[in-house]
Amino acid sequence: MYGGGNVFEATKFDDLQTEDPAKLAEFEARIARGEKIEPTDWMPELYRKQLIRMIEQHAHSEIIGALPEGTWITRAPGFRRKMAQMAKVQDEVGHAQLLYSAAETLGKSREQMLTDLINGKSKYSNVFNYPAFTWADSNIISWLIDAGAIVNQMANAKGSYGPYSRALERICAEEAFHLKYGHDAVVHMATGSPKQREMIQAALNRWWPPIMTFFGPSDKMSTHTETLMRWKVKMASNDECRQQFLDMYVPKIWELGLTVPDSKLKKNQETGQWEFTEPDWNEFKRVINGDGPCNAERLAVRRTAEERGAWVRRALLNPKAKYVKPLA
Amino acid sequence: MNEQAIKDLLYKLADDQLILGHRNSEWTGFGPILEEDIAFSSMAQDKIGHSLAFYTLLHELGEAEPDTVAFTRNANQFHNSQLVELPNGEYDFSLIRHFLYDNSEIIRFEMLSQSSYEPIAKVATKLKGEVKYHVLHANTWIKNLGTSTEEAILRLQSALADALPYALGMFEKSKYEQELIEAGVYAGEEAVKAEWLKRIQAVIEKTDLKLPDLESITPKFGGRYGEHTEHLQPLLDEMAEVFKIDPTAEW
Amino acid sequence: MSLKSLDPRVTRLNLPDGEVPPMEEKPELDQFETYEAFHQKKEGAAHTYVGPVHAPNEDVAFLFAKEQYSRRFPCVGLWIARTENIQVTPYAGDQENVYDMMRVEEPTKRSEQPEPYEIFHLKKRGKAHNHAGRVLATSYLEALKEAKQQFGEKGPIVNVWVVKSKDVLQSADEDKDMWTTIPEKKYREAIAYKVMDKITKYKEANKPTTAQ
Repeated sequence: MYGGGNVFEATKFDDLQTEDPAKLAEFEARIARGEKIEPTDWMPELYRKQLIRMIEQHAHSEIIGALPEGTWITRAPGFRRKMAQMAKVQDEVGHAQLLYSAAETLGKSREQMLTDLINGKSKYSNVFNYPAFTWADSNIISWLIDAGAIVNQMANAKGSYGPYSRALERICAEEAFHLKYGHDAVVHMATGSPKQREMIQAALNRWWPPIMTFFGPSDKMSTHTETLMRWKVKMASNDECRQQFLDMYVPKIWELGLTVPDSKLKKNQETGQWEFTEPDWNEFKRVINGDGPCNAERLAVRRTAEERGAWVRRALLNPKAKYVKPLA
Repeated sequence: MNEQAIKDLLYKLADDQLILGHRNSEWTGFGPILEEDIAFSSMAQDKIGHSLAFYTLLHELGEAEPDTVAFTRNANQFHNSQLVELPNGEYDFSLIRHFLYDNSEIIRFEMLSQSSYEPIAKVATKLKGEVKYHVLHANTWIKNLGTSTEEAILRLQSALADALPYALGMFEKSKYEQELIEAGVYAGEEAVKAEWLKRIQAVIEKTDLKLPDLESITPKFGGRYGEHTEHLQPLLDEMAEVFKIDPTAEW
Repeated sequence: MSLKSLDPRVTRLNLPDGEVPPMEEKPELDQFETYEAFHQKKEGAAHTYVGPVHAPNEDVAFLFAKEQYSRRFPCVGLWIARTENIQVTPYAGDQENVYDMMRVEEPTKRSEQPEPYEIFHLKKRGKAHNHAGRVLATSYLEALKEAKQQFGEKGPIVNVWVVKSKDVLQSADEDKDMWTTIPEKKYREAIAYKVMDKITKYKEANKPTTAQ
């Protein structure tokens, strides 16, 4: 799911002066023609670094994103939900595998990425630092966080890097199930018993503020951002994604008689834009830097999986094997 | 055909698969390698799916709805072997259990696909291919890890010693054993066990593991008729936590 | 103290609560080798590249690829090849044919007898490689030459992969039953979830809606 809220930072490679102008021109012309870039093509260092960073964060968001919904995997009510919840969480792990592979084609090994995740050197989508208190929270995540992720991923699938596009096409195909499953579960709760309705409204109240930060703060337009958009690394602005999400999903929430916990939320009929209470970006920063309700637990779980699985990898590692990047 | 005998058989098949599928799903997101995490989770889903198929047959014989049967009974009403309810432990134990369990499961499915009782034969025939993958998965892992480092071999050997008394408990005989055999439903637990032993021996022989003398092990029986370890009831309570908020609700 | 989580599975992991020292640096390569997987959607269809897995050997790679790449879509066959064993041509542009742009040199190493090679074509950047066919040759380069003659004439071909058939683990006919039930697993398909009736009923019963 979840490519949301990428913060592109400046790097020392911003200075394109160091790149070979002829190769750069050829690279840009290829993208302008609408052709994808493949792993063995020449590419500017800035392109490579930013893509690794973006795809890696996306992959981390999948593997960590498996945990909030995983909270309810052993407690899903009834066969239908039990099997679907298992398949849904499994898909997130599968998506992580696909995305790590896409990032690997750019030259960073999967294990290095996982180590950077566990040591806090590399970020993931901030929403997963929040807890899933009840089964209903898990339903809201399945529906609305995945909905947000799909908005993001559909845009990114049109990006210029071949392996990332291929991975995203597969991911989007799988996520059609997530979205429907999540919506189905929320509808059952909202139209069910008073207790179920109360549970789903409470979960929506808890998750709405994190959801509003899912796409990240408004982009500061800079030459840097312009370059990444020209290269089709960044495909849509954070605000555009947020507006599109609100357009598609607020009516679906309202039709269930649920209340979105933001009294300012409305669509301005003149501008066509949604108005809302500005999310608490200070809290966003605080949480993304480690001080959220679940940051420590999320990383501890990932680390434990790594550490307790180490004997399996030690046992079967071929000492003569050299690291080979995936082909595409 | 004695319907009680068929129900007895269906319950033990279904309960084994439900409980093991549930246990295996605890690994989702925590596996030792991403790809293995995914594979283990698929097998967990398959197991739950198989249990649903058998609970559905029970429902057709007049038992309650699958959801009710799975989510509202207490431990002493469950017919699973104690092997499947034990906590996951580390990956070594989960793998060994998977190996011991699925090598017997495939024999049951092979026999049942030839069963004189047609509804079971149909289900077993349809689902056999899935169990075949489970066995391939288990055997491949045991062969690989069982010939690897001293650490891995020690781990597996010790897990094997822990699991075997419970694994032998899978072959606890039914009250209706003779009737089931005579009616051609399947060849019975003794036959399953004999074939199972051959198959696990064939795999273990290809490794540096040693199969302990099974004659010297006392099987942990009782599971088939409601005697369970202290681990089953908490598992069931956890599984039904949301369901029991309102068992009449549609979730 | 161990960490108490909302997830009972996490609580059972007995994780230490509070600050933990950073994870130790891992060995240079705590990662299995790379294998590429090709999946066949239906009988008679060409095998298509679906992606890589990391695995200690091709048997385990097969187990992994089967679940990662064929659990959600119809499948009748699966091929696995170690990435190192696949030879890759340069990439051409979307309107070009890479066979026309390459000067295939004389091979320096040849096997005594011709052996089969599998050829995969990429028709458009960003899409997936498809199996074009099999050729007999005594080297990768000769296989590429043969492939150019046999499959290289039609339309743009952006990139070619060449791999010896003996280096491809191919699922057998008797493995097919492992996939027969995939289309029946409706619980993981969008089509199984239909809630319009419930929504309509709810709206009927609760007019006027509380919206806006």
